[in-house]
Amino acid sequence: MKHLLLRLEPVVWLLFGQGILIGTILLTAWVLVVGLLVPLGWVPADALAYQRAHRLAANPIGRLVLLAIAALPLWKGAHHLRALAIDFGGAQRDTLVAPLLYGVAAVGSLLAIAAVLRI
Amino acid sequence: MARPAHPHAMAASKPGRTRTAPPRMPPEFPMRGRYRAYTLFDATGLVYLLLGLLALRLAWALGDGEAAWSAAMAGFRNPLYLAFHALALVSVLFVGVRFFRLFPKAQPPKLGPLEPPPAPVILGGLYGAWIAVTLLLGAILAGGIF
Repeated sequence: MKHLLLRLEPVVWLLFGQGILIGTILLTAWVLVVGLLVPLGWVPADALAYQRAHRLAANPIGRLVLLAIAALPLWKGAHHLRALAIDFGGAQRDTLVAPLLYGVAAVGSLLAIAAVLRI
Repeated sequence: MARPAHPHAMAASKPGRTRTAPPRMPPEFPMRGRYRAYTLFDATGLVYLLLGLLALRLAWALGDGEAAWSAAMAGFRNPLYLAFHALALVSVLFVGVRFFRLFPKAQPPKLGPLEPPPAPVILGGLYGAWIAVTLLLGAILAGGIF
């Protein structure tokens, strides 16, 4: 398992880095509008009514942005939680923790691809 | 074909004569001194993981139709979701500021024949892109444009 983790490290680091960079750049507006302003009623709910949200997300750029917002933060989260687990619990369980966290990120990413394709 | 090295490949084949102390965590770890920001930066991983899963849920609901989408959006009015998203906004801003600050320090001294741009140019580009994308995407999501 350690060999596999080492072999996958460049890919994981690429996705982790993009999770921080692109994830953070995109998530700021996403969290602000989708998570706070619309639910609090400070932005009219019509802005994200189904018809409009579907129209925005169904075009190629919309699909890509939605995919990035759903998939990339998973890799940032998985990698940093792995680091946290090593810092607090030691590296002995890393061969269990790392595949579990990266597995969640990988499955989530595949589901995100499926989700944007079926919109 | 080259194979990845074993993680302990550089370890001595047999214990050396020099006695070494076992590794110990610094006394400031995890929440004192510089370790506080380090630990919090890693802890934002949980927030990002949950944000990704919530976005995945919304994207899936969008494909399921109007009823599923409306139910998912209505769920976001729950005070727990609101509190989480307030924490998430703080986390995203913290990650952005801390991560972008590293960029100028992480540049190689030379990129082929070229030198990397000075730190203020790199930081200006990063913060400019962040603000521009936030304003543009925020305006689109809030119904201001398109």
